Amino acid sequence: MQKRKLKRKFMFVLLVLVLVISVSGLAAADNDTLIIGSGAEAIGLDPRLETDVPSFERINVIMEPLVKFDVDMNLMPLLASDWEFSDNSLTLTFHLQKGVTWHDGTPFTAHDVKYTYEWVLNPDNGASNRGLYQDISEIEVVNDHEVKFHLAKPYSFLLNNIARMPITPKHDGDRSDFRQNPIGTGPYKLVSWTRDDRMILEANENYWGSKPIIPNLIFRTIPEDATRLLALEAGEIDIYQGGVVPQELPRLEQDSRFVVQRAAGTGYNYLGFNTRVGALGDVLVRQAVSHLINREGIVTRVLNGIGTPGIGPIPTGLPWFNPNVPHYEYSVEKAKELLAEAGYPDGGFKLRLYTNENPTRMRIAEILQHEAQQVGITVEVIIEEWGAYLTRIQETDDYDIFILGWSGQLDPDRAMIRQFHTDGSNNYTGYSNERLDYLLDYGRTVPPDSQESLDIYNEAQEIVVRDVPYGFINFSEEVGIHHPYIKNWSVHPYSAAAWQDAHRMVKDK
Amino acid sequence: MLSYIIRRLAEMVPLLVGISILVFLLVHLSPGDPVRMLLGEDATEEDVANLNRIYGFDRPLHEQYFRWAKNMLRGDFGTSIRQGVPVSQLVFQRIPATLELAFVSVLIAVILGIPLGIFAAVKRGTIWDYISMIAALIGVSMPSFWLGLLLLSRIALHVDFLPMFGRDGSVFGGLWILLTKWDGSVLLDGVRHIILPALSIGISMMAIIARLTRSSLLEILGNDYIRTAHAKGLARYVVIFKHALRNALLPIITIVGIQFGAMLGGAIVTETVFAWPGLGRLIINAISQRDFPIIQGGVLMMAVIFTTVNLLVDISYALVNPRIRYD
Repeated sequence: MQKRKLKRKFMFVLLVLVLVISVSGLAAADNDTLIIGSGAEAIGLDPRLETDVPSFERINVIMEPLVKFDVDMNLMPLLASDWEFSDNSLTLTFHLQKGVTWHDGTPFTAHDVKYTYEWVLNPDNGASNRGLYQDISEIEVVNDHEVKFHLAKPYSFLLNNIARMPITPKHDGDRSDFRQNPIGTGPYKLVSWTRDDRMILEANENYWGSKPIIPNLIFRTIPEDATRLLALEAGEIDIYQGGVVPQELPRLEQDSRFVVQRAAGTGYNYLGFNTRVGALGDVLVRQAVSHLINREGIVTRVLNGIGTPGIGPIPTGLPWFNPNVPHYEYSVEKAKELLAEAGYPDGGFKLRLYTNENPTRMRIAEILQHEAQQVGITVEVIIEEWGAYLTRIQETDDYDIFILGWSGQLDPDRAMIRQFHTDGSNNYTGYSNERLDYLLDYGRTVPPDSQESLDIYNEAQEIVVRDVPYGFINFSEEVGIHHPYIKNWSVHPYSAAAWQDAHRMVKDK
Repeated sequence: MLSYIIRRLAEMVPLLVGISILVFLLVHLSPGDPVRMLLGEDATEEDVANLNRIYGFDRPLHEQYFRWAKNMLRGDFGTSIRQGVPVSQLVFQRIPATLELAFVSVLIAVILGIPLGIFAAVKRGTIWDYISMIAALIGVSMPSFWLGLLLLSRIALHVDFLPMFGRDGSVFGGLWILLTKWDGSVLLDGVRHIILPALSIGISMMAIIARLTRSSLLEILGNDYIRTAHAKGLARYVVIFKHALRNALLPIITIVGIQFGAMLGGAIVTETVFAWPGLGRLIINAISQRDFPIIQGGVLMMAVIFTTVNLLVDISYALVNPRIRYD
């Protein structure tokens, strides 16, 4: 009995000793490893199939598109060193970088470009973003370093879509586990991936561009915003973009232990009005409701200062943004006048406002409900689960108002034609305006850097803002945060591209 | 005993069939189109129809169910719609994390809860009893996500030993490595990462167990045979631990079993707060993406684990109380 007790005691002491010894092995990540926090796990790593931002955040360090957006939203060369449109805008020719190899050593050629886009365009493959490229009728390989895209009809903004599609390897892209374990031409190579936990990458020593400075890159998935911030504060991650807890921002911006970077984003939140039925079929009523949106109040109180009051559909950072459209300032009086003009002097009707279980949107809905009461409109707020909500908006017209947002609005065409063209694929509101349809169709055929293009979209924005199919609530803002020992990084307006220049980053702890 | 176990296992079959039908129907009848969510905002109607055909969602519901059930029986859980990865791989990768968190949480709850309950029962009516029960009340009232964030911001931020998130190493695997290879690093990593999430779940469970232990023990302590034991002149601790506690354990085991089962699905919030890569998070993400095969396979696996734990609990009754016979 005594002996057994002694033995147990001995075992216990031993265990504690082993534990203590191993504690000394604990060390924070060194300068050779950059740890990036992420709010959600990637769905997969095949750019032809993914649609979500977290996937592209990771894909964009492994693979590269022909062109990319820099942090000022200018198109820059990447795998294509140069490009030009033909005079009739029906052919787009790319001259490719030379000396580029895939991670397995195979040279990158024009055949890979042709392979990627043909794969996407083949309906049998079920590529998610096929619609972005369907104006491409044929892809012609001129030689290993030159490729021509022939278009069925002119499409000036095709380059912006091309910037969203990293090139996949022809010799390896059909491998059954490519989506989980891809190769690319990018500055980092995938080493391992444990879903919902971490993705480990290492520098591509043979990278064709400037050699990666930090040898190891790790993405850690931390879904809870508060935890992600705490992990940064504790030094367990070095940097992240998106989902910075808004209430903490004033404190973080004062704290010299952190660097907060902010930039105007590429999205916005809006109220969608069902223009087909009821009182909202009348443009005056829609204008009245737009006057009831307390945009400044929502930005400061609900969004805690992240974002700016909404004006129109085009993000403020793009050259096409038109600040001179009518502004619907918050005014109960104006709303009353417009309602009286529309024949509803005391309101007296009811609107069903739908939203999903997003806390921000739910608060906006409540605020609007309160404001509407002041003009005699009863707003019933109905909150639905995301999937069910989306089905309601996309496939039925059984609602009066909904709250949604758009992200990744990188050009005026993408920001308007799907949403407001009579035949637009995402025209949920049933809105239709002949002049606008003409402008949006015409705008795609005009060179994007011309004055004509600016004029077309200036007018288009005026029409949309005047007709109010959407009540614009706020423009988004991107926020990134890191420790001061991280250098050479700027927050990107388009979060999917946040880490595309990770190979230039420096960690100097 | 053996025939009892066989009978119980046989009873699991219709139960699981029922659960599979229920899960299948709930998933397929709830609004939300997986193909649309998969294809994103630019999808054309043609693409949607095409993909529906590829996944077989255009077939009648009963046909889809039988195809799925047939594959399940062969051990084929299907492939995730969103991720293109076999569901079995996704589910089995996460089961160790979920079971480990559940087990350690229950362990913490039992180690803290039973002594606290005994203490309160023995000191019945004194200030100590009230303090213990108020502590238990606070424990049971604290939402685990709030407690989790509190532990992170008040403790982990200041203690380097405790990480903020994630799972590294392993408790069970690490124990095995320690015993076979004398290497404690895997175990240590496992322990470091599991302490806070397990505490945040364990504390509220501890409170339930403490309250139950107290009331169960008090009931037993009022019995005649306890008085007899005291009258015999037995030491107080012998009476409490040997005569009373053993008889008071039955309801406690039941509740521990139920709690363990509830942990499997109920730890979702804690898994999210601590970025713990468990089954709950997998299923929740799958629900929001309408990834039918993952929801179906994941929930069915949880049901299997839950019913198995229930069976183990029922069997353990006999070990605690030999008067219980199975037939």
